[in-house]
Amino acid sequence: MDPVLSVRDLSVDLTLPGRERTILDGIGFDVAPREIVGVVGASGAGKTVLSRAVVNWITAPLAIRSGSVSFRGKDLLGLPPRAMRRLRRDIAYVGADPMGALDPTLPVGRQIVEKLRAVMPEVSRQEARERVIALLDAVRIPSAHARFHDYPSQFSGGMMQRALIVDAMVSNPALLVADNVTQPLDVTVAAQVIRLMRELTERFETAILFVSSSLPVAREAASRTLVIDAGRLVEEQPTEALIAAPRHAYTRDLVAQIPVIWGTGPTMPAAPKTPTPKPPAPADAIVSLRGVSQTYRVKKRGSFAGTSELRAVRNVTFDIVKGDSFAVVGESGCGKSTLMRLLSRLERPSAGSVLCEGRDIADLSGSELLGFRRKLQLVLQDPFNSLPPRTGIGAMLEAPLRTHGWRDPKKIRERVRAVMDDVGLPVALYDDLPLGLSAGQRQRVNVARAMVLEPEILLMDETLSALDQTEQFKLLALFDKLQRTHGLTYIYISHDLAMVRKACNRIAVMYLGEVVELADNERLFFDPGHPYTRALLSAMPALEARRYRPEDCLMEGEPPSPIDLPQGCAFRSRCPQAFEACATLPPLLTVRGARDLAACHRVPGAGAALLAGAA
Amino acid sequence: MFVLSFLARRLAQGAVIIFLVSLLIFTLLRVMSGNPVRQMVGGMAPDSLVEQIATQMGLRDPIIVQFGRYAAGVVQGDLGRSFVRPANGAATGGANFDDLTRGARAGVGDLILDALPMTLQLAGLALAIALVFSALLGIAAGLRPGGVFDRLAFAVSSVFISIPNFWLGIVLALLLSVKLGWLPAIGYGGFSYTVLPALVLAVELSPVLIRTLSSAVAAQMSEAYVAVGHVRGLSRPRIVAAHALRNASVPLLNLLGVQFSSLLGGVIIVEYIFDYPGLGLLTINAVLQRDFPLIQGIAIVTSAIFVLINILVDLAATTIDPRLEY
Repeated sequence: MDPVLSVRDLSVDLTLPGRERTILDGIGFDVAPREIVGVVGASGAGKTVLSRAVVNWITAPLAIRSGSVSFRGKDLLGLPPRAMRRLRRDIAYVGADPMGALDPTLPVGRQIVEKLRAVMPEVSRQEARERVIALLDAVRIPSAHARFHDYPSQFSGGMMQRALIVDAMVSNPALLVADNVTQPLDVTVAAQVIRLMRELTERFETAILFVSSSLPVAREAASRTLVIDAGRLVEEQPTEALIAAPRHAYTRDLVAQIPVIWGTGPTMPAAPKTPTPKPPAPADAIVSLRGVSQTYRVKKRGSFAGTSELRAVRNVTFDIVKGDSFAVVGESGCGKSTLMRLLSRLERPSAGSVLCEGRDIADLSGSELLGFRRKLQLVLQDPFNSLPPRTGIGAMLEAPLRTHGWRDPKKIRERVRAVMDDVGLPVALYDDLPLGLSAGQRQRVNVARAMVLEPEILLMDETLSALDQTEQFKLLALFDKLQRTHGLTYIYISHDLAMVRKACNRIAVMYLGEVVELADNERLFFDPGHPYTRALLSAMPALEARRYRPEDCLMEGEPPSPIDLPQGCAFRSRCPQAFEACATLPPLLTVRGARDLAACHRVPGAGAALLAGAA
Repeated sequence: MFVLSFLARRLAQGAVIIFLVSLLIFTLLRVMSGNPVRQMVGGMAPDSLVEQIATQMGLRDPIIVQFGRYAAGVVQGDLGRSFVRPANGAATGGANFDDLTRGARAGVGDLILDALPMTLQLAGLALAIALVFSALLGIAAGLRPGGVFDRLAFAVSSVFISIPNFWLGIVLALLLSVKLGWLPAIGYGGFSYTVLPALVLAVELSPVLIRTLSSAVAAQMSEAYVAVGHVRGLSRPRIVAAHALRNASVPLLNLLGVQFSSLLGGVIIVEYIFDYPGLGLLTINAVLQRDFPLIQGIAIVTSAIFVLINILVDLAATTIDPRLEY
């Protein structure tokens, strides 16, 4: 069969004066009709540039140096814009940023109709409308008829990505380029989107070039995978063979760095300080949450003065023991960021209390509050926006010391140097601006800024999610070292289960503002008590055989809105095991074994109303 | 439903604003120096008569009582009577206090209603000229940042913003009326009398409009949806006309709501230069004659117009961009 796409000797250069370099270097491959080909590589390897070159979207300062991109035997790169525009019907593209891809001021459906009629003028408006609604329905957007008229801001990220897949597929293209489409999505939603794409290749006979920064994700989708490193194609194999027997050294590293979840690898979790698991006495707890809730009032649109209650965090109770690596996991909107704000006292809870060493932190003020701030430090998510761009790195690290009353410049400088050394930042960077730093180095600056005060607790809000696999690997090793030398307690707020498996000993799973499961690492991954945990595990991209299959664990759909909470169990709309009681009775956290808890009616003993007050 | 609740909320807010503005103006005028009664009755009138008329007119009551009386009238649509102007025209200032030819004093409402349409016509024409001119230049500049039109737009707006309007008014009058005889300049005798003052106002308005429009268009053209739009198969004219301009019009609308106040300020000077019988001229004369009721009336009417225009602007902006919540 003739390939639908064939790329030959493609080279792309960056032509910015003074920063000229080669982005892609002699790439060549074919894509057969109805085939899904994966492209993986680290960030900065040139994957996005490749996917843009394939849809003839190379703009200054990028320039094509040589090579061809042939679609059905016709070279796209030399086509005049008018001819290329006609081909857009057959070559579709979906990018990584679903929220920015459409005009925010017009309804989604109308814009998809606009695109369909732009590439296929022969379709009547009415026909186009029906086709779009039918497709929105086919990608399982609930009540597609009404959603047709909604604006992009009214769609969640997952919904919007589905809508964009509809936008791409509506003209029945022969080739779809999917550039990191699952990157901004939660794992359960990403799993649904990948499943959807596989279905679509069968239904519409579309070939897909599936670009992803994660090998496990590409494995879910692609039958054959290309590995790109620093602009070069280093390996091409059927996906399973690539994982089983990588030939190139870079691919071998890539495979080796994928965290092992269930198999016995070198990545065992840090053992808790207590050798025999026993329910910790409250005295051991460094941080305790007691029935913490946070409710926001949001303005109801279109009403005179009406507000609705958004219940971001609901009745959360748990203890964090000194020396723990505690993780709070859950998908976007589950309340984990609100919980972070409560733990760090950026906000006070609307009910319940957060205790730090027995003191309610809501009551602290003045020097006591400053003392608490010294004890608990935050490390933020975004390595680029969290550092002031015009402040030297040394000055940045000195600032917290000055805030906390250090005055002697010599001592301050000494302390900052010691911390930079501790986190692996070259002391030579002291007077540099953060401009030239890589994401990983920037995150080290963030960690140093927190560590400089010698805190006891570090609160990591998605600290690693902006980094690629290799950088994550190094930073986790650093965290491990710091924990051992300084006796730190870590609280990770994360959506990345693979990272949590590697780094944390105790894990709380949140769904719609509630902790639905609280368990030690082993137990959570091998014997989860809550169906939502199982769903998360089943959707997690991994290279090994899954313990849980998505087909059994997860129903289609997305979490309900925290403004309009369902009665009974919040998870029941997506739970394959829901039964009558779930619709009326909210399940309580029930003890499973020594110190693990889950909030599900299916947990043995849940019916006996074993009220679990404290973990 | 959304529109109704929006209007109800904003009109209620607007009423409060107008009330506060009138209270402020009323109080400030009362504590200012200058005795309006003395001006009314003329310099020759005995002090006792001044006192008598002042008491008759209620000017010796406490300010809050005076304001209450005034506000009650305003609510019923009665803005009071001018201290100075007679209903039949000519100003009474300086006439003898016992001059029997002096007619009834003119209603403030009538004076404003006579002048307002003239000013609205002037402001409307100025806005139209400014918008057309700025749109042509601003959009062309925004589509190609750094290009010829961008540099032209920068030069034009720099020149325009540094020209004082009174100077431009005099120069244009000299050039277009006196030398070329194309347009009439002084007074009002038909629509053509509006053109010259409107041009001066438009020159004053356009620099900010050009800058806003060109930067808004440039910002929209670098949005992701524009680049993705090309890849989705939309043509460039379609992306610009149907999407980029639509989004870029929101900052422009917001600016117009604010610019309206500077337009009213500009009107005062320009109307004075061209002796154009609008609200601006009326205001200047009212201030010079210490005609308190007229100044108050003008202040209330302009603040009401200001509030209404801003409500309309916000309503238009929310219609274009549903994410906005005002």
